[in-house]
Amino acid sequence: MQVYLPIAEMSVDALLLVGIGFGVGWLSGLFGVGGGFLLTPLLILIGIPAPVAVASGANQTLGASVSGLIAQWRRSNVDAKMGGVLLVGGVLGSLAGVQLFALLRRIGQVDLAVSLFYVVVLGTVGALMVMESLRAIRRRRSAVKRKLHDHFWMHGLPLKMRFRKSRLYISVIPPFVVGFAIGVLSAVMGVGGGFMLVPAMIYLLGMPTSVVIGTSLFQVVFVAANVTLLQAVQLGTVDILLTMLLLLGGVAGAQFGAAMGTRLRGEETRALLGLLVLSVALSLLWGLLRTPDNLFSSGPAL
Amino acid sequence: MIRRAVLLLLLLLLPAGRAAAQDAPLVVALSQTAVEVTTGFTGASLMVFGSTETPIGPGGDEILVVARGPTRPVVVRRKVPALGILWVNGPSARFAGVPGFYFIAGTRPAWQLLPEEERQRNSLGLDSLPLTSTGARSPAFRAALLGLESSSGMWVEDTTAIEIAGSRLFHARLPLPAAVPTGDYRVEVLLVRSRRIVARQELAFRVDRVGTADRIATVAEDQPFIYGLACIIFAALAGWLGSILFRRG
Repeated sequence: MQVYLPIAEMSVDALLLVGIGFGVGWLSGLFGVGGGFLLTPLLILIGIPAPVAVASGANQTLGASVSGLIAQWRRSNVDAKMGGVLLVGGVLGSLAGVQLFALLRRIGQVDLAVSLFYVVVLGTVGALMVMESLRAIRRRRSAVKRKLHDHFWMHGLPLKMRFRKSRLYISVIPPFVVGFAIGVLSAVMGVGGGFMLVPAMIYLLGMPTSVVIGTSLFQVVFVAANVTLLQAVQLGTVDILLTMLLLLGGVAGAQFGAAMGTRLRGEETRALLGLLVLSVALSLLWGLLRTPDNLFSSGPAL
Repeated sequence: MIRRAVLLLLLLLLPAGRAAAQDAPLVVALSQTAVEVTTGFTGASLMVFGSTETPIGPGGDEILVVARGPTRPVVVRRKVPALGILWVNGPSARFAGVPGFYFIAGTRPAWQLLPEEERQRNSLGLDSLPLTSTGARSPAFRAALLGLESSSGMWVEDTTAIEIAGSRLFHARLPLPAAVPTGDYRVEVLLVRSRRIVARQELAFRVDRVGTADRIATVAEDQPFIYGLACIIFAALAGWLGSILFRRG
């Protein structure tokens, strides 16, 4: 069934979009991440222009994360104070990110920049995740106890604040910087940033895993909302029809994924997610390295 | 057979057509003057039809049908290897006034019917389009633009699209792909006799988004802030609804 996307100005198979939404939703439910990092490259792959894919991907991530946030909020697994600090950084970061995106679009390097961001960020995060989870699996065998979190230079920074839910007393600067960085990436890559935020919260901020998912969803929902608004106002690239078709499949897929996810162990899940992230990065890298079929491309002059 | 009968009927029903057919050398009409782009739009096909005073064919009258869509500036970029391995967009050429849609068909190819300068003056044929560019100067950019637009079906140079019935009645099918730009389109029908244009008729049609597709695009353009807010609310509602629906199940 073909459907005409009014903002992308192209005709796409609606079932294909619902299917992509379902697949990504399934994986995101399985691993507890938004799935934007898979969605945006897939959309670009089926021919959606990169600016529309990024903006609508952010919009879809917002919808996909809302149900998760509601569930986590009910179980009071959200550190709203920490989330607030992350969010201030995230909003400022996404403001900067959208400006960067507009600049890239003017000079005609959006596709390259989006791909490069993906390759670098996903490659790094994926490799770290695989290594970490392999170490954790090995450690489980040898059963060495680990400290709650390590103290290093970061904990000497000023502006300390108490985060009761996270059982932390740390400076607001690290969470602010983390939030800002995720905000920039979110605007340029069209992702919520959950797959980067979760490890950053565990390893950089030392937050307990029980509140990490809920708090990251809190940040993701609001940053994705901000990115959606900024992209809509400044670039006019959010395609609501595309978003809704993706959500239609995504919401259903996430439930199946979540049900399956409870049967997998933490380390194995993280290793699988790491491999998935790595393979997306590698396939995008291949796209940049191989000789293109057509050296020329055309686009509207801005 | 049925199509021809319909065409004939349409031609006879044209109020001016019948009276004019006696004195005008060329009478033309369009099957529709509005193309509606709905959310289910997958492209459209228009019919340009008409009749001539004297029989069509070699040595007699020849017909050329040209359609042009709204123009816009286009940038063509060439990828170059950077750092020896990465392919990045390098030099670019900016073309002003590129037609978003171009179609030409004739009883014979335009280059057989008209002298070179006449074709250039009326921009008949893809190689005669007046494309002026700034930026990179290589002719490869113009060729690339031609190739890209042709492969997407936006620029069509079709030499077999005109069909002749009963030696004076002709019709051409105008294929509009799904990604066709919205706006005003001009269709020109030229009557060529012994390498000269002896008559021309202009027709027009409009491609418009209608219904939901139009409303979404209009709101997104005119009130981007409200549109952005609506996108946020709709997405959030969809997520929330989904979580309720599936918790029961």
